[in-house]
Amino acid sequence: MTFTRFVQSVALCVACLVALHPVCFSSDQGSEASGMATFLNDLGRKVADFKTLRTDFVQEKEMALFRDKLVLKGRIILEKPNKVVWHVDSPVRSSVLITDKVIRQWDEDTNRVQEISLSRNPVFQNVLNQLTVWFSGDYSSLIGVNTIRIVKQEPLAIEFLPNEKNIAYKVIKKIVITFRDDRKYLQQIRIEERSGDVTAIHFRNTQLNVPLDAGSFEVKGHV
Amino acid sequence: MFDRLFERLFLFVHRRKKAVIGTVLAVTAAAAAFLPFVRYEGNIDLMLPPDPEVTRSLRFLRDSSLSDKIVVSLELTDPAKDKKDLFAAVDQFGASLTPPLFTKVTSGFSLSDVMEEFSVLQYAPQVLGENDRAEIDKKLTEPAVAASMRSIYLQSLRPESIFTSSLNRADPLAIKSLLYGKLRALPASMGYDVSVEEGHFISRDGRHAMLIVQTAVPMMDGQRSKELVAALESHVRALPPYIRADMIGGHLHTVSNERVMKRDITVASLVVSAAFLILFFVMFRDVRAIFVFIIPLIAVAWAIVIATGLEGNLSYLVIGFGTAIAGISIDYGLLVYIAMKRGADSSQMVKLAKLVSIDAITTMFSFAVLYLSLVRGYHQLALFSVLCVALCLIISLFVLPLVLSWKKFEVSTDPAIGDRLKAFRWPVKTSVAVWAALTVFFLILSFSLTFESDVKKLDGSEPAVHGAERKFHELWGGKTNQAILVVEGATVDEAMEKNDAVYREAVAAVGGDNITSLALFWNSAKTRRENTAQWDRFWRDGRERKLRKLIRNASAAYGFSDRAFSPFFDGLYNHAAPQASTEGLISRLQDRFVVTRQSETSILSFFPDEKQQVDAIKAIATKHPGVFIVSGRALSSSISSFTSRELKLLAPAAILFNIVLAWMFFRNWTETFISLVPVLTGVVWLGGIMSLLNIPLNVVSVVAAIVTTGVIVDYGLGMTYEYRYHLRTGTVMAVTLSAATNIIGTGVLLFADHPALFSTSVAMVICMVTGYLSALIVVPSFCSIMGTRTEEAPSP
Repeated sequence: MTFTRFVQSVALCVACLVALHPVCFSSDQGSEASGMATFLNDLGRKVADFKTLRTDFVQEKEMALFRDKLVLKGRIILEKPNKVVWHVDSPVRSSVLITDKVIRQWDEDTNRVQEISLSRNPVFQNVLNQLTVWFSGDYSSLIGVNTIRIVKQEPLAIEFLPNEKNIAYKVIKKIVITFRDDRKYLQQIRIEERSGDVTAIHFRNTQLNVPLDAGSFEVKGHV
Repeated sequence: MFDRLFERLFLFVHRRKKAVIGTVLAVTAAAAAFLPFVRYEGNIDLMLPPDPEVTRSLRFLRDSSLSDKIVVSLELTDPAKDKKDLFAAVDQFGASLTPPLFTKVTSGFSLSDVMEEFSVLQYAPQVLGENDRAEIDKKLTEPAVAASMRSIYLQSLRPESIFTSSLNRADPLAIKSLLYGKLRALPASMGYDVSVEEGHFISRDGRHAMLIVQTAVPMMDGQRSKELVAALESHVRALPPYIRADMIGGHLHTVSNERVMKRDITVASLVVSAAFLILFFVMFRDVRAIFVFIIPLIAVAWAIVIATGLEGNLSYLVIGFGTAIAGISIDYGLLVYIAMKRGADSSQMVKLAKLVSIDAITTMFSFAVLYLSLVRGYHQLALFSVLCVALCLIISLFVLPLVLSWKKFEVSTDPAIGDRLKAFRWPVKTSVAVWAALTVFFLILSFSLTFESDVKKLDGSEPAVHGAERKFHELWGGKTNQAILVVEGATVDEAMEKNDAVYREAVAAVGGDNITSLALFWNSAKTRRENTAQWDRFWRDGRERKLRKLIRNASAAYGFSDRAFSPFFDGLYNHAAPQASTEGLISRLQDRFVVTRQSETSILSFFPDEKQQVDAIKAIATKHPGVFIVSGRALSSSISSFTSRELKLLAPAAILFNIVLAWMFFRNWTETFISLVPVLTGVVWLGGIMSLLNIPLNVVSVVAAIVTTGVIVDYGLGMTYEYRYHLRTGTVMAVTLSAATNIIGTGVLLFADHPALFSTSVAMVICMVTGYLSALIVVPSFCSIMGTRTEEAPSP
């Protein structure tokens, strides 16, 4: 990887790598831990039972950076095992495609497509890994460096508190994921940072195993 | 005088046959009992010249912690297993490596800690200098700040922004871009192409993890290196079955070299022993020939014990010469045995003793010449070899006749032995003409002979060691040869201050991309204090106020809050102490850049080991006391020039000794010249044939060639002596057998895996074969042409 990109990635922050990096959450001890592990494995199997996914999203950001809440609208399209595109329609059109080899990003403002090789950018590679975990449902890997708690059953909401072993510990206060009623996919992810910023991503119109064409993963001037 | 002394001694031992044989047996038994306790050194250092530059480089490499590390790459071999399993194995393996053998294991670091350590407000004030502050000043304009605000806004819309906004709040001007130049040294500083995940070093393919294991065992310590590698291998065996480990490090080379050399020496000894026995039994059909064979073995055992007593641990390379020396020193016993078998009388025995003694003396002198060298390993080799030859001579002249003439089993005489060889007549003029033409041809070729000064080519580590390294470098990088710029100081601060200055000059000379230094991302404490003070003055001088105003004007368009960038302004003057955290990445990287010894500290910088860069940085180093470079290229060049300087002394000295001894023996320049024909042939043809085969000379083959001149001169002396005195002591046969044993003894090392032993063998075999052929064909022809048969010896 180039040095600049290494540093960019670092500068883009551990946070990004980490926060999208729920990896290894540790549950409470003993039987409670093993019970949670079993529960997450079962849940993961159910959630992970798809090959392709298309969902609209609304992302609400309450950030100290902005005076008002920032609201983004767009779509996420995923094809297993490692292909995710994140199209934002408003307030500024932009796209980010992440595959197992490259990251390609475009925005309306610059109207340029930038491609970054993943093999040269470990941080983005991490982002991809973590997106895959959240969106694909492999929750067993979250056990270990998180304290995990079921917040409520209907709809199912699970809270992940990174512990000190988790590299996200210094950035993320907690992450809560809420499932659809049928528990086949997510309804919402809510991330609270230690800085006080809160991001909530709401998933709407989620379709599993939909046919996808190559155009779905085009980033430039997406519709 | 020689005759009288020899006769007296011969009579003396003859009268005390039992006592003499008993003493020899007792001393040999004692030496054999001592052998298992003798320790050998496997490193090549002993064979390297004590040139100040070479010595300083080697001392530095030995004392620095650079060579005291083993890097382990763990690979997931089961596709069903993932990083979690890999990291668990890394943690398990790391935890198993405990003191005293293993002093520190580094398997990664926390990226979040790194981000904190290198955050803009912590790091920038300390490391940004005047030019960087000028760059920041350029950003304090309305268009530049507006562009920064736009950029931050767009970043906030990207997926990763969930976690990056807090960084942007602390860096509205993207000062981090100025730090990229500094931080780019970080991955390069690791020396490997690594990613970090979950605090572990991981490869790009996500299937390999890396651990850097530090040890207190010096790389040159063969015995403890063996313990270290054995311990590592046992911990590797305890890893889960889906994990495979590759290890690289100097200790593995030390252990492997020793193993290869031991194996080569053992195989060579067995093959030589078997060949000698078969040769003797076929030639002589006499079980007593075994006594001839045993003499060098006795001499080698005694010589090892005596040389160890005088020199301390002997080098394996020196012992590696053992089989060659056994092959050389068996000659004396052979000459005595053949003469006795031919029924030589006492007067002929005295003449034979004279010939054998002069043979041994020429050989001893060829080894003794090595004492003129400054290389300690050569002295060791000379001592060991001179001892071997002297002991063989004494035992052959005084003990062998006792056992051969034992009453019950007297040697059966065979006066015809060797006569057929002697009776064969080569065409005199044709032989000399062909020899002269070939010698001229090889002389011309030898001018294009090259010298291999890279001592790494003498590394005989097994293919598995090289294979693991190749695989490791393919995966993790770090293969490019690096030279080291060393800046010494009495304290860390003094060395770092000096390093800052030298680094600036080095960057001007070779460019910033070509040198990785601590000064790039972590200056001396003094420089960091000065930078911090300048940073504060820079912002207090109205720039903070100006920036606040510019941000206020530009940010309204994007909906930024009033306190959007308060982390930046709140922390603008709130600096941490200019110290690296002891647990932080900078401290860890200092392990690679800072070497602290009792009385001094060295700061290391790394640059490509290419001629252009080495020359440029060497010029800078010479201007600063306590600054030098350690470069494989420079080291090779020093070894090369030192060896050629020594060659100019050793080779003429060896030839001069041979000339003087030959003249003292014959007291006649014609015979002296004829007897030296094999030496001339051996040396010139060696150069020509090596050049023809495109095999370069190296430090060990040069020594081997010098030593061999002392052996092949014997062939010339023997043949000339035989023709001058018309001896009937079977010299032709003895020379032939002696050449055969010498060539077997050294030739068997042609099959050695170790390149140092192979090089030795190539040089010696070429010298001996060509020397022998010239002794057999050209010497009699010259004798015939020049009519040297001046005396006739009586028939036995």
